[in-house]
Amino acid sequence: MSEKSSATNRGVFSAAVCANRQIGHRFYRLGLEFSETGAEAFANCKPGQFAELDLSNTALPPSETIPEDLVDAAGRRILLRRPFSFCDITTKKNKTFADILYCVVGPATLRMTTLSAGNSVSIIGPLGNGFRVPDGKKTALLVAGGMGAGPLEHLAKVLTADYSDIDVTAFAGAKTVKELPFEARLDEISQQLGFSLPEFANYGIESLVATDDGSAGFAGLVTDCLSEWLGRCDLAGKDMIIYGCGPEPMLAQVAEIAEKRKIDCQVSMERRMACGIGICLSCAVECKIEGSSETIYKLCCEDGPVFNAKGVVFSS
Amino acid sequence: MNEDVDISVEFAGIRLSNPVFTASGTCGYADELSDFMDVNSLGGFITKSITLAPKKGNATPRIVETDSGMLNAIGWANIGLDAFIEEKLPALEKLSCAVFVNVAGETIDEYVAVTERLADEKAIAGFELNISCPNVKLGGITFGTDPEQVAEVTSAVKKVSGEKILMVKLSPAVTDISVTAQAAVDTGADALSLVNTFTAMVVDIETRRPVLANKTGGLSGPAIKPIAVYLVNKVYNEVAKERGIPILGMGGIRTASDAIAFIIAGASAVGVGTANFIEPGCTVKIIEGIRKYCTRKEIANIKELVGSLDRDLTD
Repeated sequence: MSEKSSATNRGVFSAAVCANRQIGHRFYRLGLEFSETGAEAFANCKPGQFAELDLSNTALPPSETIPEDLVDAAGRRILLRRPFSFCDITTKKNKTFADILYCVVGPATLRMTTLSAGNSVSIIGPLGNGFRVPDGKKTALLVAGGMGAGPLEHLAKVLTADYSDIDVTAFAGAKTVKELPFEARLDEISQQLGFSLPEFANYGIESLVATDDGSAGFAGLVTDCLSEWLGRCDLAGKDMIIYGCGPEPMLAQVAEIAEKRKIDCQVSMERRMACGIGICLSCAVECKIEGSSETIYKLCCEDGPVFNAKGVVFSS
Repeated sequence: MNEDVDISVEFAGIRLSNPVFTASGTCGYADELSDFMDVNSLGGFITKSITLAPKKGNATPRIVETDSGMLNAIGWANIGLDAFIEEKLPALEKLSCAVFVNVAGETIDEYVAVTERLADEKAIAGFELNISCPNVKLGGITFGTDPEQVAEVTSAVKKVSGEKILMVKLSPAVTDISVTAQAAVDTGADALSLVNTFTAMVVDIETRRPVLANKTGGLSGPAIKPIAVYLVNKVYNEVAKERGIPILGMGGIRTASDAIAFIIAGASAVGVGTANFIEPGCTVKIIEGIRKYCTRKEIANIKELVGSLDRDLTD
């Protein structure tokens, strides 16, 4: 376990909700405001780091608004906290503002939709290790699958602010246009590189969109879109880095593409976790041991969630 | 806060500043919790299970949340005895609370070997013998559900545990928990801890598969609390009280009220487990709440409360 958490100022903090906006199908952006010690702790939260939110006392939405597939799960009491990464961190004076992009998938995220300005939430964080920027890179490719766009949006901001010599291009994919977590008129997106996704365009970053069914942008997997792009580019692998966040089969593909072209690649992994602070040992990620056919389990929460892709044994 | 109330407890011959422990597997090796609380404020601390060799643990998913509870099937993932001694023990030595090492194994020899190596370590107050883990193929619960095997492993470990407290952690997966409790006490247990988790399963109805990679897991959390309180009271009445054996009661404790219920039922001390995942500093609040309760009820010494259930199972 060599990559221990860099989050040394982690703790339990209270955050005030400032906004909770629906941005499409089942996606929302939750805006949080930290004061005092929480503001200090989260001011330096790196892209890819995460936090554990307590949603156990958050109310359910009115029953008639609950999606049919969540009706049975909705009544279940929440016990554990839920892990979320951030899509934006902004500091203003003595306050830190943190945005979370989330998708309604179960009883906790369903409750999350009822949070509104004035509410407060208990948060443990910042946790884990974020994306790292190795020296000498000239091009960074951000590859997002569905909800994976969140932490990559935060990374886009940091790369453009702190690494102005690195060119950044974003790739965002989903099954259909409805499953893309962005605010633009997505059905009008072309197959061309451009500033169609405002979440990345804000930072001057061009993006490519891919949908499996062709309902927006490139028709096919985002990894195919990435391959095609790489096929047309004449940059040396060693000058590039790929950052991936999304479903595991997609990350496995991204890792393979990167490996073939000898491009550094970091992926943000996701696991069920109870604590987020390295004690429950639930969030195991199988990793290779260099020079051995044996593998070990590292912890998504403490050793990750961002891992060097070549060290991960992706589950099939 | 009323400092006149004495919530320190005598536990198998040692004095604890208060009756609250963190339960094995929910507090790491202590350093993980130190960002959130002063571990020394605890009465006792129990390490994650230690086996002779390092263990990778089970495949994922290793946990799933259930109604008011969770299932885990970690599979004894731990750094192994050598690394524990080298990397973790020095920090544990600095703790002023009582440190117990949870000992696990696939064979009796393994339990004996781990205990023997640690028996002279001054950082350690005692051992908690894990013969009740439901998530491993060999060892664990296979020892804890058969009274003859409970006796065999307890007596074998007792021969090497020296001056240290030997606490045996009981499984609830038996017809009569007093039988296994009796077997442990008769063969050298100085204390009993109960209960470990309940074997359980969650089914994904879309895939028709168990959610956990291990198929089954151990149920913990508030869902098991009333059963655990009952089992503590049963063991207290039928085994522990007469023999003067202290019980570390656990199962779904989140609040001081929960802890007090266990103590009234017969526990001399309590273990907080799953709640540490949600509020890593919750034990500090529980200790304070116990003190407040004693003040309100004019209980000068918490030992008055142990097993003080009015109308218990024997009435």
